[in-house]
Amino acid sequence: MYGDCYPDMETYLFYILAAVAVIGTILAITEKHPVHAIVYLVSSFFSLATIFFLLAAPLIAMFEVIIYAGAVMVLFMFVIMMLDLGRTDEAGRPVLKQWLLPILLGGIILASIGVIAAGYASAPSAPGAITVRDFALTLFRKYGVAVEIISMQLLFAVVGALYLGRRRTP
Amino acid sequence: MIVPLAHVLVLAAILFGLGLVCTLVWRSNVIMLLIGIEIMLNAAMLVFVGGSNHWGAADGQVFALVIMAMTSAEVSLALALVVYLHRRKNTVDVDEFRELRD
Amino acid sequence: MKTYLELIILLPLLGGIVNALLGGRLLPRRASEFLACAVIWGSFAATVAAALAYKAQTSVEIATWLSDFDFKAPLTLYLDPLSLSLCLMITFVCALIHTYAVGYMKEDPSYVRFFALLNLFVAAMLLLVLAENLPLLYLGWEGVGFCSYALIGFWYTDPKNATAGRKAFIVTRIGDTGLGIAVVWLFELLGTESIPHLNQMGHLLPTGIVTALGLLLLLAAMGKSAQVPLMVWLPDAMAGPTPVSAQIHAATMVTAGVYLLMRMFPLIGTSPTVVAAIAITGAVTAFYGASCAVVQRDLKRILAYSTISQIGYMMMGVGAGAITASTFHLLVHAFFKALLFLGAGCVITAMHHEQDIFRMGGLRRTLPGTFWPFLAGALCLAGVPLTGGFFSKDGILGAVWLKGGMLYGGLYVAGLITALITAFYTFRMVLIVFGGEIPLNPPFIKGEVKTLPRIMEWPLIPLALLGLFGGLLNLPEYLGNGFLHSFLAQPGGNEQALPHTTELLLQGVAAVVAVTGIVAAWLRYGGERRVKSLAKEQQPASGIAAFLLEGWRLDALYDLLIVRPYTRLSSFLWQKLDEGVVDDSLDRTAALFGRCGRWIGSRGQGRVSLSLLGMAVGAALTLFWLAWVVL
Repeated sequence: MYGDCYPDMETYLFYILAAVAVIGTILAITEKHPVHAIVYLVSSFFSLATIFFLLAAPLIAMFEVIIYAGAVMVLFMFVIMMLDLGRTDEAGRPVLKQWLLPILLGGIILASIGVIAAGYASAPSAPGAITVRDFALTLFRKYGVAVEIISMQLLFAVVGALYLGRRRTP
Repeated sequence: MIVPLAHVLVLAAILFGLGLVCTLVWRSNVIMLLIGIEIMLNAAMLVFVGGSNHWGAADGQVFALVIMAMTSAEVSLALALVVYLHRRKNTVDVDEFRELRD
Repeated sequence: MKTYLELIILLPLLGGIVNALLGGRLLPRRASEFLACAVIWGSFAATVAAALAYKAQTSVEIATWLSDFDFKAPLTLYLDPLSLSLCLMITFVCALIHTYAVGYMKEDPSYVRFFALLNLFVAAMLLLVLAENLPLLYLGWEGVGFCSYALIGFWYTDPKNATAGRKAFIVTRIGDTGLGIAVVWLFELLGTESIPHLNQMGHLLPTGIVTALGLLLLLAAMGKSAQVPLMVWLPDAMAGPTPVSAQIHAATMVTAGVYLLMRMFPLIGTSPTVVAAIAITGAVTAFYGASCAVVQRDLKRILAYSTISQIGYMMMGVGAGAITASTFHLLVHAFFKALLFLGAGCVITAMHHEQDIFRMGGLRRTLPGTFWPFLAGALCLAGVPLTGGFFSKDGILGAVWLKGGMLYGGLYVAGLITALITAFYTFRMVLIVFGGEIPLNPPFIKGEVKTLPRIMEWPLIPLALLGLFGGLLNLPEYLGNGFLHSFLAQPGGNEQALPHTTELLLQGVAAVVAVTGIVAAWLRYGGERRVKSLAKEQQPASGIAAFLLEGWRLDALYDLLIVRPYTRLSSFLWQKLDEGVVDDSLDRTAALFGRCGRWIGSRGQGRVSLSLLGMAVGAALTLFWLAWVVL
């Protein structure tokens, strides 16, 4: 199952999905129409969710689909429609000149991470798959406080969103 | 492990770079900027999940879940802010919001 | 016995709390008034029952209170002859005053606050008297102080009254500091706070420390009992309603200082310095009060100065070591001074809250129900022979005489002169208010004389009887031994009795002095000469009269010596130090940071995208450097 083993089906699947995710993302960020961008992004997130599944994290994969590809993206869509941004806006689209510096920076970061990752001597991985049971035990035993804090944060977010979104009577 | 950890990291780096580029480029649309942030966060989650798989510890997945919860809070607040700002200035151009200066 | 003791204190406390919580909204006015009076009468009944069941000194622990390491101050009540006789007096006089107050406060809208505070005061006063240890006594001490403050400023909408309340509070606080230090120091020295234990352990302490403790306690007594030099608050305290003046500032609270000294006398009495200081304080105060009372025009202020003077007598008695005589005078004084205040309240109410005696006159015909008891009280105050006041005052003077020596001889003379002045000003007051004719020019400004409710007149009668026949409590030895004397006699007490002939002689002298004073007052204000003297006195006072009218100008002196430097220091600290240095430096620092922020803000672009770009450049550089290191 390691690099020197004969690559099996899942390995191919990983590379295919990685390619889909990267291409989906590239299309999403270059798309001038926000709704299309969201759709590309959703496909990218789907492939990422499958990658999570392949990486033995079925629960995270499920959440990725439900929360990211589902809830969060739908929320984006809602806001786009609500603010009536769902039309092609040529004037707002970045011109080529504006792409250069970000791509340069992104390239530097990418290259640096690639160099660091390549130079990283892969430590032997512990055997044994992570079951949902392990995950739950770790989450609620070891990081119980984090769960509480996150739940409070969500509550604050709800309150803040309600406050910001209420109709003001000027 | 179906692929070496380095490959997962490189994929995450590519996604992160793309998210960063998206954030930097789309200054005319704050929604695209937020989408860029989402992409970067996803890349971070991928690193956590990959690490979790590599060392066989569930902690990474827990962090991925925490990131997800944090993201949903952040997105709901950020979009509420976008709606509020749009209501005030009738634009989503990031550079229009510069009250911090004065 | 335990039940009785608990009831004595808990009933007034309960009445106060119930009135404070339920009064006004849930209780009708009648019920509120009835409750306030009933709890005090109930407390009196409990005290009588305790007195009947009394056999020997008892201390009853009701509950634990302060307890920390070896420091213990439980809620323990201590009943001995001294506290028992005081409790009887307090509950009885206060019950009468409460009943009277129902009539006096008939038209006041805030009767709930009044009665709640009055009940609370009685509870605190009884706690003070019955306390077995010093912290508990201190609790009662501060409790009465608070109630006194709140009741002096009862009509607080007039700033003058509120100021009077504050003055009383602050001046007595000076004395309270002394008591606080003494309480803590005694525990530090002897490891106990129980008063009976402390009194037995006095011989363990060196004389110097006993002297210091005694002076601290004397300071406390000076504040509470309005003794020189801390007596300036009592005349102003007359701003409160008259029942308050009668109850707190004549009968009970102001004698608390004397009580404290009596209580601790076995401890502090071993120091001759302290005893002499107490006696001198008392004598000076007695003379001061009497001299000021001579020229006052305000009926209640006359009585206030007279109270100061009479408490001075009690202090003098304590200083002469005559606890019994002092207690006797305390009790009798409570009766007749409460009577005088209540009578004054009647007069003031009848005259539509007029307090200037020069606008009164001839009231003996219009207010006979007030006049006769008031006259009885005046006779007691003047020390006319065979009244209670005569015997009690004589007991103190006799004890001072017995001490002998230059110092006490001088004090005796001072006491005698004070007695003369007392008789004079008492009958000056009586003759001006009740004698003569109703002044026609100017007539009563505020309308006709009001008829008084009967509930205000009948409490005067038992007080008058007690004042007149109070002498029976403690007859001189040649008339058969006094009841109080044998009752109060403490084991190991060193009170000697005078030889009978000397005592008779002294009493004769005192009688002559009293009668002389009355005759002098009659000669000046009686009959034909009244009009002329009054016309003369109605001129603005000058010279020595003005000096006396303003209480020896002590207020002005304290203002000059203490108040003004203090305000100047405070305003310096406030305006120069706090606002000028502390606040200003903070303001400037904050303004500096604000300016820095604005400067940076004006340099920046305020564009989100630019910040993002900067962040990305930073991240790229950091990662590049990391990659460089790895390679």
